[in-house]
Amino acid sequence: MLPDETVVRTVLSGVTQAEVGTSTLGVVVRVPHADAAASLSALKASDLGFVMLVDLFGTDTGDEIEVTYQLRSFARDEEIYVKCALPYDDVLHSVWNVFASALLPERETAELFGLTLAGHPNPARLLTTEGVAPLLRRSVPIRTLEEVRDR
Amino acid sequence: MALDRLTGEHSVAFIRSEQLFDWARRNSLWYLGFGIACCAIEGLMSTSGPRFDFDRMGVFFRASPRQADVMIVAGTVNKKMAETVRLLYDQMPEPKWVVAMGACASTGGPFRQYPNVVLGVDKVVPVDVYVPGCPPRPESVQYGFMQLQEKIKRQTEERRAARRDRR
Amino acid sequence: MIGPRDTEHLVVNIGPQHPSTHGVLRLVAELDGEEIVNVEVSAGYLHRGIEKLGEHRRYHQLGTLMDRGDYLSGIHGELAAALATEQLLEVEVPPKARWLRSLMGEVNRIASHMIWYGTFGLDTGAMGQFLYAMRERETLLDVLESVSGQRMMFNYVRPGGVIADITPDAEQKLRTFLRTIDTYIDEHHALLGGNEIFQKRVRGVGVINREMGLSFGLTGANLRCSGVPYDVRRDKPYAAYGELEFDVPIGSVGDAWDRYLVRMEEMRQAARMIRQCIEGLPEGDVMAKIPKVVRPPAGEVYACVESPRGELGIHLVSDGSDTPYRFHYRAPSLFAVQVLEEILPGTLLADAIMLIGSVDILIGEIDR
Repeated sequence: MLPDETVVRTVLSGVTQAEVGTSTLGVVVRVPHADAAASLSALKASDLGFVMLVDLFGTDTGDEIEVTYQLRSFARDEEIYVKCALPYDDVLHSVWNVFASALLPERETAELFGLTLAGHPNPARLLTTEGVAPLLRRSVPIRTLEEVRDR
Repeated sequence: MALDRLTGEHSVAFIRSEQLFDWARRNSLWYLGFGIACCAIEGLMSTSGPRFDFDRMGVFFRASPRQADVMIVAGTVNKKMAETVRLLYDQMPEPKWVVAMGACASTGGPFRQYPNVVLGVDKVVPVDVYVPGCPPRPESVQYGFMQLQEKIKRQTEERRAARRDRR
Repeated sequence: MIGPRDTEHLVVNIGPQHPSTHGVLRLVAELDGEEIVNVEVSAGYLHRGIEKLGEHRRYHQLGTLMDRGDYLSGIHGELAAALATEQLLEVEVPPKARWLRSLMGEVNRIASHMIWYGTFGLDTGAMGQFLYAMRERETLLDVLESVSGQRMMFNYVRPGGVIADITPDAEQKLRTFLRTIDTYIDEHHALLGGNEIFQKRVRGVGVINREMGLSFGLTGANLRCSGVPYDVRRDKPYAAYGELEFDVPIGSVGDAWDRYLVRMEEMRQAARMIRQCIEGLPEGDVMAKIPKVVRPPAGEVYACVESPRGELGIHLVSDGSDTPYRFHYRAPSLFAVQVLEEILPGTLLADAIMLIGSVDILIGEIDR
């Protein structure tokens, strides 16, 4: 089920200049990253009742890192996607105060896309050891078949 | 070998101590319960379950590396895990053996192209038996253990042959 | 009498090599005596780049990676990837394939829950139920092996349908299995759940209430135990679940005992669905006409399934080429593991092991 775009616009009007649109994914809201936490808490507190952060992940679009927050409302059985774009090597501000489920996914996203995590209780690396490149960036190659053949 | 005759009409058998120890060793290969990934379900859980039941071969699960003879590396070893694998191997008492179970532990398997994955656990610890498969069936692991028993048996003979040559 | 005195806190490392952390999870626990004061989850010992490699694999090859992500329930991982690809391609799946997906999904669910049940008992100090659980699991693996050729990495569900019809041998085995499974589950329940020691260990420990469950993004049985009746199979039907009858068990307290009861009931419901699937299996093809190399139009989709551990979702971003532009795997275990940091403090160290078992996590999913 898709939430009503005009209602979403009204909810977010007090917080930020949000671009609300519909794509193949569903209703997608694009906000500046600085307003991400405020937008999420507005959506959570509104009548729409987006009480759960289902997922948080990054995408390397080629020019910047796009962070997607997927929210779900159980009361109305609706989902909404909040997206914000960050330049490479920028600071990812934590939203764990709004949704505690962001704790580990944020660490993972920051680490694998080479972002700095701010406002997080434990911003240490989660998956890899020190010195490993941000592996999910498109510019980081995987091993070629020739490399792995010789081991 | 000589000890087999114990069950027959002979009541006394003569055997070299090292042969006796190797006989005991290869029939009580206690493995370190150390499942890394998918192979752990097949290699450590199904094998201790009722159908495959490795207990009957003397292959038994131990939780501490200090009580284990064999380390089954069951899964993908990545750069973060490699240190731990080496540490566990160093904690095991001699003599010790390593079974690289599955494609990942042998070569990196389906994940070999990912830069964070170590291309085979033999880059970290010496491996005695490689068991192919993704994941190997418990029967394959069983065959791997039989190969390991053969290897231990051969080691005794090779040691003796080497000593003979020196003399 | 020894009066109260200042005790030093002790930091204990549980894992990555620990028989009860279900793989290579590492917990750094700060203890005051036997009580846990603080706990930190450290993951990454199985990080092997399923998401990154997915960007370099064709759409048909994603199932291979997904099998190894959630290795206890490969069918569900494959199904999520296949559903996402089908959404991008806008392909209609033949009815028989949809029913077979549900059928094998439920077979796999029982097999996965049997591992959970066996190891949960091990975590609380019991051993016998593990052997009985493996008996059931082996029977189900025989069925899955008969249709897919593999015991664990099935690669059975592909975009467009499934690779093979159910074999007569598998059907026979399933029918035999279904004759006994309800009694067996009652026996399992009596063996482990009927044990007073077990009940004393799990009742009232590790309570996850509704707010905590929602804020930590829990899904599946963990969320249902805290009283949120959300099941992807019922609320966003995929495969044949829209046409099947089943109940969604819900807990009331949200403690480890509730999670145990809900999962046991899920197995009964799964058996019920398998029965319906076998009886109502439609005739027809099992695979839609779909090219070997697919190039879906550019777009972004999310598909989710109810895996034994919760909502398993796949985000696929396509740029029109034969490989996904971004392949993201929403792992239910990643969210379940972070709730441990919340529920472990205040419990005893021995309960920590039991609570790790009670939320049913899988390291392959956490690290991906």
